[in-house]
Amino acid sequence: MMQTQKPHLIRLEVNYRGIFQKTLAYHISGDVVYAAHKEGKTAFSNGRYSDDPQRNGIPCANFAYFSKDLTEEDLEAEASASMDITEAEVVVVLDDTMVKGLEPWGGYGIRPINEKVVKDGVVLIVSNRKPADLIAQMEKKKFPYRIAILPGEASFAGLWYFKDDMTDVRVLGAIAKVAPEIASIDTVANYVASKYKSKEKAAAARKAYEEVKVSTVNAGEGIDWPYPKPILPGWKDFDEGVYVKGVKRGFQMGPRGQNRNPDFKRGTSKTQRPVVRFDLCTKCTLCWYDCPDEVFDPTTDGLYDVNYEYCTGCGRCAEVCPVEDCIVMVDELKFENQDSPYVLYKKDPENYVKWAEDKKGKERLMPSPVTGKGSTVSKVETPKPFKKGVVK
Amino acid sequence: MVEEVEEFKNANLYKGVHAVDLEELYTSGHRTCQGCESALVMRDFVKASGPRTVVTGATGCMYVANTSYMTTPWIVPWMHTQLAAGGASAVGMAAGLKALMRKGKIPKEKINVINFSGDLGAGDEGLGGLSGAMQSPYDLLVIVYDNESAANTDIQASGLTTWGAQTTFSPTGPAKRILHERWKKNLAAMMAIGHPNVKYVATSCATFPPTDYMNKVKKALSIGGPTLIHTIDPCPKGWDYHPRYSHVLGELAVKTGIFADYEIVNGEVRYTYDLRNKKRTPVREYLEKQGRFSHFLDEDYEYVQAKVDEMWDEWELPGILPIKAGLKVKK
Amino acid sequence: MVVKQEEKSVFDREELMTGTDAVAEAVKLVDVDVFAAYPIRPYTGVMDRLARFIANGDLDAEYIVADGEHSQFEIGKHASSVGARAFVGSSGVGWLYAMESIGVTATDRLPLVALVGNRALDDPGAFGVEHNDALLVRDLGWLLCWASTAQEALDTTLIAYRVAEDPKVRMPAAVAMDGGYLTHSQHMVRVPTKEAVRDFLPTYDLGNRRMHPDNPVSIAPQVNEDWVMELRRQNYEAAKRSRKVITSAYEEYNSIFHSDYEDPFIEETNVEDADTVLVGMGSAAVVARSVANEMRREGKKVGFLKIRWYRPYPTDEIRKALSNVSNVGIIERNFAMGAPDDGAITMHDLQSALYDSKNHPRVVDFIAGLGGREISKKEVRKMFEMTADKKSPKVSWIGLRE
Repeated sequence: MMQTQKPHLIRLEVNYRGIFQKTLAYHISGDVVYAAHKEGKTAFSNGRYSDDPQRNGIPCANFAYFSKDLTEEDLEAEASASMDITEAEVVVVLDDTMVKGLEPWGGYGIRPINEKVVKDGVVLIVSNRKPADLIAQMEKKKFPYRIAILPGEASFAGLWYFKDDMTDVRVLGAIAKVAPEIASIDTVANYVASKYKSKEKAAAARKAYEEVKVSTVNAGEGIDWPYPKPILPGWKDFDEGVYVKGVKRGFQMGPRGQNRNPDFKRGTSKTQRPVVRFDLCTKCTLCWYDCPDEVFDPTTDGLYDVNYEYCTGCGRCAEVCPVEDCIVMVDELKFENQDSPYVLYKKDPENYVKWAEDKKGKERLMPSPVTGKGSTVSKVETPKPFKKGVVK
Repeated sequence: MVEEVEEFKNANLYKGVHAVDLEELYTSGHRTCQGCESALVMRDFVKASGPRTVVTGATGCMYVANTSYMTTPWIVPWMHTQLAAGGASAVGMAAGLKALMRKGKIPKEKINVINFSGDLGAGDEGLGGLSGAMQSPYDLLVIVYDNESAANTDIQASGLTTWGAQTTFSPTGPAKRILHERWKKNLAAMMAIGHPNVKYVATSCATFPPTDYMNKVKKALSIGGPTLIHTIDPCPKGWDYHPRYSHVLGELAVKTGIFADYEIVNGEVRYTYDLRNKKRTPVREYLEKQGRFSHFLDEDYEYVQAKVDEMWDEWELPGILPIKAGLKVKK
Repeated sequence: MVVKQEEKSVFDREELMTGTDAVAEAVKLVDVDVFAAYPIRPYTGVMDRLARFIANGDLDAEYIVADGEHSQFEIGKHASSVGARAFVGSSGVGWLYAMESIGVTATDRLPLVALVGNRALDDPGAFGVEHNDALLVRDLGWLLCWASTAQEALDTTLIAYRVAEDPKVRMPAAVAMDGGYLTHSQHMVRVPTKEAVRDFLPTYDLGNRRMHPDNPVSIAPQVNEDWVMELRRQNYEAAKRSRKVITSAYEEYNSIFHSDYEDPFIEETNVEDADTVLVGMGSAAVVARSVANEMRREGKKVGFLKIRWYRPYPTDEIRKALSNVSNVGIIERNFAMGAPDDGAITMHDLQSALYDSKNHPRVVDFIAGLGGREISKKEVRKMFEMTADKKSPKVSWIGLRE
C-alpha cells in the first residue's frame, strides 16, 4: 500500500490588536505571500472573518499559508482556511501584551497566545521584554517550540492615519529568519525594496533579520492555563427562539459588587491598565461616570475599585481624573493578576501606594489624539507622597 | 445645576453626579471599542430609565458589539430590531403593552419603552419609521446614538457624517481630496419641527456636561408621548483618535458648536450649551484631534468653521432651525 | 338544511362577507391586541373593516396606521414579542416592501398572523391576483396556506393563530387569498361565537421569551458561524413539528364547529380513482372542482386536488393521493423565469414530492390567470384534456392571446 506523504505546508498566524494594527497586520500577511510567491511557492492569506467588525484593541488574527508542492486549491483545502485555524507553524504576535491571553468573541473563554503553535514551531513576538518574562505568561506545552523576540514597541495607529515606523517590514525580515522556508531574507529584502521603492525599508528588514533572537521553549515551560475552554452546546441543548437570559440583576457596594456578563470578559483587550492612587482621590466620581465598560465598583467610603477582568484599558478614567497622577495608565505586562486594587489598598494603604508608584515608574506616556502620531514621554522626578486620612 | 422646572418635577432628575444611581442595568462584558462613547449612551439611558424598561436596539454597533451570542451585557429585557425599524419596534412594544394592560392581561404599571438606533438606521434608512413613531400616541423614547458613520460595517459615510470626513465610502485620494460633501442632516430639529405633537426632543452628549444626558432621558420618559434624544458619540475607531480622548472630543463637539446641545420642551427651545453671541472654541481644535480629518487643508477647516458660524449667527433658531433671518413670504 | 341544536351554540350568526371581511371577523374573534395597517389593494379591506370595529367599539385593540409596510410588520413583530396577539397583512409589492421584517419574524419565531391578498408584482402596476408575493416566503419559516372561500378564510385564520402560537411551533403564519376574487366577492359565512373561539384558541403565551421587565431576556444577539446552523436546525424542527399540530388543530376545529375538513392540508375531489388530476390553490379551486364534478358525470376519470397548506408542504398527503394517478396537471397562478423545465413555482415542489414516491405520473404545468385574468370553466376543461393527452407539452400558458 502506498503511504500518502504529508504535503509541505506552513501556516502562519498574525495576532494583532483590532483597528490599531489592522493596516499593519494586512501589510504583513499580504507581503509575506508576495515574498513566498517570488520564490515560486503557492501561498495565500485571509483574515478571520468573525473578527469583523473589529473593535479597538480586541485581539484579531490574519492567516497566511505556504506550500512548495500543493496547488492553490489543494493548499486552501488542506489549510481549511475558512474562519479560524487550529494549528500554526509560525505564530506572529504584534503586541506582547497578548501573551496574557485572547478573547476575541463572547463565550469562548480566554485562549492562550501559543494555543496553535505546533512542535518545533515558533512564536515570534514584537517586544522589548526578555523571553522568560513572556513565557511566564504563556501556556505550557507538551512539546518544545521556539520563541523569537523582535525588539521593538507595539506599533499602533488608527484607521485613517497610518504610522509608518517600519514595523511591517521588520516583521517580514524576522519571519525570514525564523521560517526561511517561507522566503529567504534576500527575497524579502528585494521584495520590500521594489514594493516600497525604499532601500531604507529593505535595510530595516535585513536589520530585523539580524536582531531577532530565537530561543527554545522546552516542553513544560510556562503556566497551567487557568481559563477553561467552554463547550458549545448541540442544537437540542439550548432553548429555541434565539434568546439568552439577561444578566441577573445584582448590585451591592464594594469590590465585585456589580453583576456582570459572566461569559465575556473584555480584559484581554487592554495593553495598559489604570493604576489608582486611592489616597489622592477626591471622590469626584468621574472615572466611574466616564468608564464605558462599567468596571469601577463603588465602595462605601466613596472610592471606586477597578475590576481589571473587564477593564479594556482605554484610559478615559486617567484622562478625566482631575487629580494629577491619581490615575495613571501602566503597561499591562507589569501585572501578575486581576486582584482588586481597593482591597490591597485597604489592607495596607502605605504599602499599596509604594507598590503603585513602583508599577507607574518614572515615565508617563501620553498618546497623541490621533493614535498613529505616537506618544510623548515625560519624566516624573518625585512621585506624590502618600497622603494620609482621605479614607473616612 | 439642574433647573427645577415645573413640568419635570416628577422626573426625579439627578442633582449632580453623586446622585446618580450606582447600580448598572447594562453591565460589563460587551464587545465595544476601548473608550466607546456609545456604550455610555446605553449604560446611562437604562440607568436613568430604571429596571422597569424594555429596550430594542436597531442593527448597528450597539447591536453587534454589545451582544455576542450566547452572552449579553443587558440586565433589562432587550431585543434586536432591524436597521430601519427602530421607531416601529418601539411602537409595537408600547402598543402591545398598552393593550395587554388595558385588557387586564398583564398588571398595569409604567414600563418605559426605549429604542436605540444609530445615525445610519434612524437618520437614513429608518427616517420614515422614526417619523411614524413620532406621530404615534404612545409613550416611547427613541435614542439616536450618532457616531457619524456605519461604524459596524467598517466606517461608511451616513447622512449624519461630518462634512469632509474620511470614511470607507469617502476615502481621500489624489483626484478627490474631499469625497463626502454632504452637510450633516439636522435630525433632531427635523423631528421636532415636523412633529408638533412631540413634547420632548433633545440633543446631548453622554458625558458632557455630566448628568445632562441622563436627565434628558428622565425628562423624555416623564413627559409622555413619543420623544427623541439625539446624542453625539465620539467614536475612537471611525474618527481615528486614541480611545482615551472620547470625553475630550464630546466636550469639544459641544463647545465648538458643531453639535448644538439643546432641548425642545413643548415647543420651547432651551439651549443646554448656549453658544449664541458667544465665543465658540474654534472648530479646528475638534477636527485636528481626529485622524478622519488628517487630510484637511486650511481651506477645509475654514469652510467647516464658516458653516458652524452660519448655524449660530444666521439661522432663525441658532444651531437648530436653518432659515436665515430676513426670509419673507411672497405677497 | 336542518340546523342541529348544538350548532346554534357555537355560531353567532350568518352574514354575507368578502374573504377579507371574514378574516377581519376572525381577527376580532381571537381578541387581537394589536393590529397595524398600511393601505394596498386588495388585502386592505381587512383593515378597513377592523378600523370600523374600532370606531364602533366592537374590538378592543391598539390600531396603528403605520408609515409603510416595513414598519407595519415590525410593529406586529414587536407587539408579538411583548406577548400581545397581533395581526398584519399586505399584498404584492407591499408584502415585498415588508420582506426584511417578514424574514426576521420567522427567525425570531414570533407567531404573528398575516393576511396576504395575492396581487401581481409591479411593474407595471396591476391589482389582479398572482401568487408570487406569498410564495416568496415559502422557505423562510412562515406557515403558509391558501383559502378558497370566505368561510374557509375565517376558519383558517382562527386555525392559523392556534397553530402559530402552539409552544411546539411558534412560527408566523400567512393566510393567502386571491386578490379580486376572494378578497372582493361576497358569500354567506357562519360566524362562530366568541365563547366557542375561546374554547378553541388558548391565551397567547410566549413563555420564557416574552419581553417584559419580569422576564429579562436578550433576544437575537449577534451570532457568528458557530451558532447559525444550530439555530436553523431548531427552526427546521419546528416547521416539521407543525404538521402534527395542524392535524390536531383541525380535528378539534371540526369537533367544536362541526366543520368537515377531512384532511387539513389538501382537499380531494374525485381523486381516489382518477387517472388524470389537476392540482391547484386558491380561488381556481372553486372552478376546478366544479369542472371535475361535471366531467365525472360525463364518465371521465378526472379529479381535482386542492392544496390548502403550502408550508409545511403536504408531502405524504400528496404522494398518497396521487399514488394511482397517471397524469397530473398543475394550475399555476405564478411565474418562474428560467426555472427548471421553464415551469412555474409549485410544479417544482410537486415534482420533488413525487420523485421518491412509487408512482411517477406524468406532470404538466399550466400557467394561467396571471395578473388577475379569469380562469374559466372552459379553460379548466382544456387543462384536464391536455393533462390526459400524453402528447401535450410540459408547460403551457392557458388563456394567453397568441
